[in-house]
Amino acid sequence: MNKKILSLVYLVSGFAVLFSLWQIASMVTKGELPTPWKTMSVFFEMWADPFYDAGPNDKGIGVQLFLSLKRVAIGFGLGSLIAIPLGILIGSNKTVFNILNPVVQVLRPVSPLAWFPLGLAMMHVSDKATIFVIVITSLWPTLINTALGVASVPQDHKNVGRAFGFSRWKYITKILLPSSFPLIITGLRLSIGVAWLVIVAAEMLSGGVGIGFFVWDSWNALSLEKVMCAILIIGLVGLLLDKMFSLLQKRFTYAV
Amino acid sequence: METLNNKVQAHNIDPQKQSRIKERVADAIIGPLLNPALSIDVKNVTVSFPTAKGVYTAVKDIDLQIRKGEIVALIGHSGCGKSTLMGMISGMVKPSNGEVIANGKKVSGPGPDRGIVFQNYSLLPWLTVFQNIYEAVDSAIKTGSSAQKKKIVEENLKMVNLWAHKDKLPGQLSGGMKQRVAIARAFAINPSILLLDEPFGALDALTKSSMHVELLKLWNLDNREKTIVLVTHDIEEAIFLADRVVVLNNGPAATIKEIVDVPLERPRNKKDIVHDPVYMDIHDKLMGLLIDKFSIEDINDMKKTA
Repeated sequence: MNKKILSLVYLVSGFAVLFSLWQIASMVTKGELPTPWKTMSVFFEMWADPFYDAGPNDKGIGVQLFLSLKRVAIGFGLGSLIAIPLGILIGSNKTVFNILNPVVQVLRPVSPLAWFPLGLAMMHVSDKATIFVIVITSLWPTLINTALGVASVPQDHKNVGRAFGFSRWKYITKILLPSSFPLIITGLRLSIGVAWLVIVAAEMLSGGVGIGFFVWDSWNALSLEKVMCAILIIGLVGLLLDKMFSLLQKRFTYAV
Repeated sequence: METLNNKVQAHNIDPQKQSRIKERVADAIIGPLLNPALSIDVKNVTVSFPTAKGVYTAVKDIDLQIRKGEIVALIGHSGCGKSTLMGMISGMVKPSNGEVIANGKKVSGPGPDRGIVFQNYSLLPWLTVFQNIYEAVDSAIKTGSSAQKKKIVEENLKMVNLWAHKDKLPGQLSGGMKQRVAIARAFAINPSILLLDEPFGALDALTKSSMHVELLKLWNLDNREKTIVLVTHDIEEAIFLADRVVVLNNGPAATIKEIVDVPLERPRNKKDIVHDPVYMDIHDKLMGLLIDKFSIEDINDMKKTA
């Protein structure tokens, strides 16, 4: 109980520091940057009716957030469906690894946004192109970590499979996958983190709907309060996504 | 015409090879007849590994015959190749030269006739105690329904008094309990040969003692029909458990230094046995074999020069 109170104290003081610095910055810039109080009142105003939909350029923050999350979910889902099996293949076969590793190493450092025009050319619709960017984004961390996890199954566990004559299927389901789960989930956790970073930028490019578009649209409407609110919301959602996967990670980590 | 002849010749097995095959067939037929109770026959075996610094020979020219129902301890300093020799019997290590016969068949890989207890338990941490044994039974025993297999798991877990802990994960067990699960797993596939690779090395002295008794109890329950090969570096453990103690030279290229018989009556009592003059003789002999007087002189030399 004491510990919980203490961590709450830390949390509150952390935000107190942030808000005071923000207040100072706002005072120094003579109101160019909205004050925390002003921003907060806009924040609660926005959440009073988050799901209103008054045409293509006027949607509630809840709608925008939901659409962004939906794109991330689809893109991340598809990306993972490609990355996990491919990672297993790369990790378990030296030849496949040697063939694909240079390709992965070249493509991995490319900003996912560079794929946006390619997505547009292929899909013709900016919404799908955005999802395409997220697919590419969520590919690499999952792929690399899955391959690493599969390649580093402890010799002890492999020996159990050999000694008792596990079938190939039993080896994969009872040894290979459970042993690589922690690293696969680490990959997924990194992927969803980067996907959430990239969706904001991608939606600024694609326009239309989404939290990224909301940020850009608010800037164009000269409402920095809304921009600040969006930043806070993006941060909180990112934190939640990360927490989800860190819980999953705990669930699949075993003491030997 | 000439090429055709070559082809015909290529299909003929050369006479030398042919006679070798005949010999092997004869061995396979006569061997078991001559030596019906032989469980493991290690024939002139050498193991070498290619390493970055050239070929490393772990064990060399090992010959060892183990009878059915016998308990044999392999003893030697760390890195002397005990585990390599054990790995060859289990089929996890392939000999570069020579061969190992287990239960009348040449060993070419691990098999359900040989149960292995690994050095570090090697339980799968994501499976419960029950599942750990069940998956092994399910793989090693090809016939029978899953209900029958579950029954086998239950019997073996009850045998090591762990039935109450069947739903726990290995991480929730103590070292001694984990080792009992590993032993139950090896017994559950009902192998005629049991291979234990430093099974009690990580346990404290008290737990170790009770595990020795427990192992012998299981062996007795099975009418002393299982052959047990045990790798250890503990002299007391070797004498208490084994009928014969095989002492290996220091590696690389370790050979058998000596085989010491342990003619102590069974059942053996841990408390009394240590006062038995026979025990003390064997103990001294093994001590002498393992602790080289030269190495002690080396230390003295080092002291002098220092």
